[in-house]
Parts: sequence; structure tokens; C-alpha cells
Amino acid sequence: MVSTPNAIVEAKAVEFYYTGEETSASPALSGINLAVKQGEYVALIGPNGSGKTTLLKLFNALLTPHTGEVMVEGISTDCEEKISQVRRMCGMIFQNPDNQLVATTVEEDIAFGLENLALPSGIIRQRVDDAARLLDLEGLLRQPPHLLSGGEKQRVAIAGVLAMEPRCILMDEPTSMLDPAGRREVNATVRDLNNSRGLAVIHVTHFPEEAAAADRVVVLSEGRIVGQGPPEEILTDLEMLHKLGLQGPTAVELAAMLREDGYPLAPQLLNSRELVDSICSLERKS
Amino acid sequence: MSRSITLGQYLPGESLIHRLNPRFKILALLIILVLLFSLQTFGGLAVLLFFALLVFAVAKVPYRFLLQGLRPVFFIALFALVIYFFFTSGGVVLLRIGFVTVESEGVREGIFIVARLVILVMFSLLVTLTTTPLSLTHGMGFFLKPLSYVGMPTEEVAMIMAVALRFIPTLMEESQRLMRAQVARGADFETGSIFKKAKSLVPLIVPLFVSAFRRADELALAMEARGYMIGARRTRLHEDIITARDWIALTFVMVLLVIALTFGI
Amino acid sequence: MFIGTEKLTHTYMSGTPYAKEALRNITFSFEKGDFALIIGPSGSGKSTLIQHLNGLLRPSSGRVFFDHEAIGSDKHKLLQIRRRIGLVFQMPEEQFFSETVFDEIAFAPRNLGLEERLVRNRVNDALHKVDLDAGTFAGRHPFQLSAGQKRLVAIAAVLSLEPEVLILDEPTAGLDSAGRRTLFNLLTNLNRNERLTVIISTHHLDEVAALAGPVLVLKDGRLVMNGLAADIFIRRSELDELGLALPPVTEIMHNLFEAGLPVNMAVYSLTGAKEEIMKLKRRRD
Repeated sequence: MVSTPNAIVEAKAVEFYYTGEETSASPALSGINLAVKQGEYVALIGPNGSGKTTLLKLFNALLTPHTGEVMVEGISTDCEEKISQVRRMCGMIFQNPDNQLVATTVEEDIAFGLENLALPSGIIRQRVDDAARLLDLEGLLRQPPHLLSGGEKQRVAIAGVLAMEPRCILMDEPTSMLDPAGRREVNATVRDLNNSRGLAVIHVTHFPEEAAAADRVVVLSEGRIVGQGPPEEILTDLEMLHKLGLQGPTAVELAAMLREDGYPLAPQLLNSRELVDSICSLERKS
Repeated sequence: MSRSITLGQYLPGESLIHRLNPRFKILALLIILVLLFSLQTFGGLAVLLFFALLVFAVAKVPYRFLLQGLRPVFFIALFALVIYFFFTSGGVVLLRIGFVTVESEGVREGIFIVARLVILVMFSLLVTLTTTPLSLTHGMGFFLKPLSYVGMPTEEVAMIMAVALRFIPTLMEESQRLMRAQVARGADFETGSIFKKAKSLVPLIVPLFVSAFRRADELALAMEARGYMIGARRTRLHEDIITARDWIALTFVMVLLVIALTFGI
Repeated sequence: MFIGTEKLTHTYMSGTPYAKEALRNITFSFEKGDFALIIGPSGSGKSTLIQHLNGLLRPSSGRVFFDHEAIGSDKHKLLQIRRRIGLVFQMPEEQFFSETVFDEIAFAPRNLGLEERLVRNRVNDALHKVDLDAGTFAGRHPFQLSAGQKRLVAIAAVLSLEPEVLILDEPTAGLDSAGRRTLFNLLTNLNRNERLTVIISTHHLDEVAALAGPVLVLKDGRLVMNGLAADIFIRRSELDELGLALPPVTEIMHNLFEAGLPVNMAVYSLTGAKEEIMKLKRRRD
């Protein structure tokens, strides 16, 4: 199968069934064709059970497709000898900050992935220190994980992934268990890594505002991709979102309600800044 | 909330003692233990006590941690003193209250036993205060390595122990919270017969198990995602390098052994 | 005062080198029938505070009051208090241990020593209050329910105490927007119709803010703001500095106001915001 140029991860005609459901008429994922380019920030949205997490796990070979192929930097995830490499290229951050931290101190946790790669101790030390510096964790290196805040724990998880020098970060609702400050921390960190280091990001989220920050939004429903495009296009299509039981960003929802009542707003408003500006200019004209 | 207990109560630091190889610390502790129980005189004990205090100073451990660590043995020590003071006879009679006597042998033995206990606890504390639980686990793992030749998966066991250590504070906090949540629903874990108390544990045990299994599932997935594979070769951030420092310290302990034996047995 | 504290301080592991002051000098009071919010970033001491209100935790110094009496340590009195003050912990469905929804909800009244007939009434009442059909749900295994349903059952499991006060810690955590809406309706009903005093501890502000009367803001164990919702939510930049966020729709209203438009900022729902903005248009026409 021909690869899409510049693609870091690619799913081609992927179909996936959970074990025991192979004969089921409704696979967990079907007909998935998705390529994520270098440095691209993709948000993956969809109702519960639509297959978002499943798709994410296919990208780092935690799961392998029933039919079709998943390639990471040209390597097929089916290839058992290369799984270690695949998982190095695509690091994953999970939803529960606690249940992904393995070690008794922050520095040992950041080192975990590198230890699994059997790198020499000196290199591990360097990468751990570099990752800690990037994520502002230097003062916390000797701390045990249970004393950290939720946001700090997620940053440690990100540091651990970063230390492995991946090309893509996969994130499964990483902020849903955090408070607003923690959420801001993590989102800012990831956006910064995406901008400054060209790390591709695939971010599963149920916060429309988080999806609005992406380069591309992909919508899943019942195991199929039902839409994809830039946020201004996808997140303003309230008809589609509502049909799937999803909400658009607050500004979009409010703008739609206002338009319904006759308030003459432009059609593709995405965020509150645009909405406030529009309302102000409309009100001031008179 | 669980700033409370860190098993072994490791106190982060950069002292000489902190930087000694954990294998050496375990070995040293064993040597000192043997020494402690073969000494017969106060002189020998005094040397060891002095050494313990010296190491505490070098390790830069605040004395309040020493006192905190000795608290649990306070009552045992008191109990032992009472037993020895009032119920062991021999030597000169020092005090007579009714038909209970306090004799010099009893006093001597009582103080000796308690001193030994205190010194034992002090050295154990020194090891646990200056060595992370994980390092200790790896240190012990080294001594258990021979078992891998008879088929015991020592690497995996070490990983299991490390993960367990990591989660002890988390699980303790969770169980405390759970207990309070059930008490808020009127549960009573304190009163009643043994049978009733056992039954009342069901609302604690079931949720904890369910949660533990879920955690284990998620953690295993996260470990796999970071490249962990059973049986694969792994390196470590903190290698157990044996440096000149360790040999020097070992020599020190040996010298101590000689001094104490000279004064002691 | 109906429920509150006076100079409440709580130090964990006091006397040890690991002592940590979780709460310092907290004084406040709520009245019967209030719908109160206790807000603050995670680690601010909210959960610690609410666990004092029904006697689960004891103060290191200071006092906790309920119904004009200080809460002491008498065990019998404490049980009485827990009949009257129900506390729903965060992610309460993690406490489930029974085989049926019925048994899970019956746990509390059974602990109170009620006879089985009364227990059955309580369970049915509780299911009714959370709008779950007893016939369908009573016999189900709690683990087979959806996330939203589990949350409702967990709340019912506290409502079966028939408390006068209901305290909830992060009640909407982990719920989707439909779940949050259901919860909002439930809490409105409990406070307005069933006349329960409701206290919610959260770091997430949404439509629930519309119901709030008194609001406490905690940071690092200290009470930094204490007042009525309208007065507290106006102070947007302070809340922002504390790591708290107003509901997105309220933020929009604040931005409009700051841009010079005469809108009411005490709006917490989309419909409310729409109304306010349409008022502007109508005024123009």
C-alpha cells in the first residue's frame, strides 16, 4: 500500500473487532483511513463508545487491526520485532494521572521508558534532566508521585513520553480529571511542544474548546469517521454535532441560538473572542 | 492527605550516607546486627552508639526524625525495663518495695537489652531514612539474584515490589477515603462482635478490590505503551555503582568491628 | 447558624515532622434551605472542610456547628448527625459493593437500624427522587448501569438517609453534558421542592452557579472570599488568579460588559445569555 507523503502515523482501511466480537455486525472500528502529518495537531472527538480510544491504541500498537494496516513512520504495527520502535515514536498519555505513573519518584518515572529501551545510564540521566527542564519539573525530580497535583502528574507523564524522543504524542482525554488550572497547564504544554518541537499530536477530547485549538478535527461515530476538517468548519456544524449528542464550543452554541432569534451574526464564528467582537461591532453600528 | 506515611520514611538528601550503594548499606546493617548481638559489654555498645550518632550527623538527618522513629519502641522498651528491673534477680539489692525487689543484675540487664534495641532501631532507621525504598528493593534483589538460576523471575519480582511501593500511599489514602465515605452512609467499623466486624468489612473490601484491579489494568497498559516487555533487558537510571566511597565506608565498618570486638566480647 | 464552622483549623499528622495544615481559621455559616457553593482549586482543602461538617473529621482547633449546636465526639450524637447530613463523595459510584441497586441504596437505612419494610419505602422514595424507575432499576447490578445512572444511584444511596442537608463533592465530575443537565435538575428539585439545604464543593463552575446563594472560596486551606454568588462571580480576575474559571458563558458576558455593553453578568446558562444579548438588540430596534 502506498504511504501518504509526510505522514507520521497512518491508518489504511482499518477494521477492528474486540476479541470475542469477531462475528458481530458492528465492528468497533471500520473503514478508517486517517493520516496525520508531521507537526499536525489533530483533535479526535465523538460520543462515548464511538471508538476514539480504540483508534488511539491502534497508533501505538497496543492493539492491531483486524484488516487493513496501521503504519508509524513507515513501520507496520503488525511487525512484532519493531513494536518497541513504534511505541517510541508514538508516546501515549492516559486519562487517569495516577494510574500511569509507575515509579516511586518523578525522575525514575520519567526514566521508565528509557530503561525499557535499555539505554545506558548516562544517556538516561541526560534525557531525564532535559525533559524535566522543558516541563518545569526540575524541583520535583525526587518527589514521590502521590504528593503531586493532577496537573503535575500529567506533566510528569508527558516528560516521560518526551524523553523517548517521539514523533507523535497520543493523548486520551488527558485533562478530564484535572481542575481548571491543571487543564490550562497541560493544554499549554502540549500546544507549546507541538509548536516549538514539531511534535504531531492526536488528542482525544470531549471539551469542544480543546478541539478548537487543533489544526484538524476528526469526528468519530459508531466506529466510523463521519467528518473531518478544520475546527471552523467542523465545530460550527452544530447540526452534525447535536445529532451525535455532542456540544459545540460555547461561543458557537450561543451564536446559533442568537441567529435563530434573528441576531445577524456571521456564520462561522468559532470562539468567544470572535463572538464578543461581532456583537460589539453590531451594537456599536447603531 | 497521605503526606502521612511513606513506607520506610525516606528523607531526601545528598549526604555521604545517602550516596552509598544500597547493597553496601544492607551488608553493613547485617554486619552491625551480628556485632550487636555478640557484644557483651557496655563498652562495646557505647562504641556502636557513638558510631550511630556519628553516622546520623554525617547523614544530616534532623534528630526529630530519630526521636519519631524511636517512638514505636518506647513502650516495648519501657515494658522490658519493668520486667528486668522488678523480676530479674542477681547482684546487690538496690530497692525494696514490699516483696518486690530491684537488684543490680536486673538493672544492668534491663538497660543492656534496651540499649541494644535502641541501637538496632537507630541503624535500621539510618538505612531506611537515607535509601529510597526502590533502591532498597534493588539492593535486596542483588542478594536474591542467585535465585534466578533456579527459575525465580527476580527481575519481574523486583518490578512488582517497586510498583507496590509506589502505590502503597495512594492505596492507603484511597482506603481511608472509602472508609469515611461508608461511615457517612452510617457504616460502623468499630463496634460489635468479631463476626459483625468482619461482615462490616465487605463495603470496604469489595470496592477496594474492584478499584485495585482497574488500576492494575490501566497501569499495565501504560507500562506497555512505554515499551515495557516481560523478559526484555532493562537498564536503570540509578545504577548501583560501587565506588571508592563504598569501599572506604566498608573499611570503616570493619575497623569498627575490630574496635568493638576488642572492647567488647 | 444552621451549619457552619468557627475558626476551624485542621492539621494532618500534627506533632510529626510530616504535619500539614489543611485548613486554617475557617469561619462561615449557612442557613437552612441555602444552596451553597464551596469553590477552590484542587488541594485548597474543600474536601477536608466538608468532611468536618458531618463529623467525619475532627478539628485540630475551632468548632463545627450544626443546628445551633457544636459537634462533639459523642458517638451516638454523631450517628444522629449523619442521619441528617448526607455527604456524597467524589466519584461516589466507586463505593459500590452490592449485587443490586436496591441493596446499595438500602445500605444506609439498614445501618440506621430501620426495619425492612421502612427500608423498602426509603429505597423506593430515593429512586423516585433521582427519577429512576424502581421497577426497572431496583434489581439491576450496579456495575451494569451507565455512568450517569451510576451517579444517580450513588446519590440515591445517600438520599435514603432522608437527610436535611445534602453535601456533594464534585458532583458532575466525569459526566457528559447530558449527565450534568440531569444532575442540575435533580439538585434544583431537591433544594426548591424537597427543601434540602444543598452544599456543593467543586472546582468546576457551570449552570449550578445560577442556583447558588452563599459562596465560599478556598485557597491553600484559607477562606479567601465569602459572600453571595453575585458578589463573588463578579471578581473574575481574582478567581482567575486562584486557578478557577467562570462558566464559559459567564466569561462571554463579562467580556461584553468590559467592552462597554450594558449586560447583566450574573448569567450562567446559554438561554440566559441569549436573553440578555437579545435585550440589547431590542433596545436598539
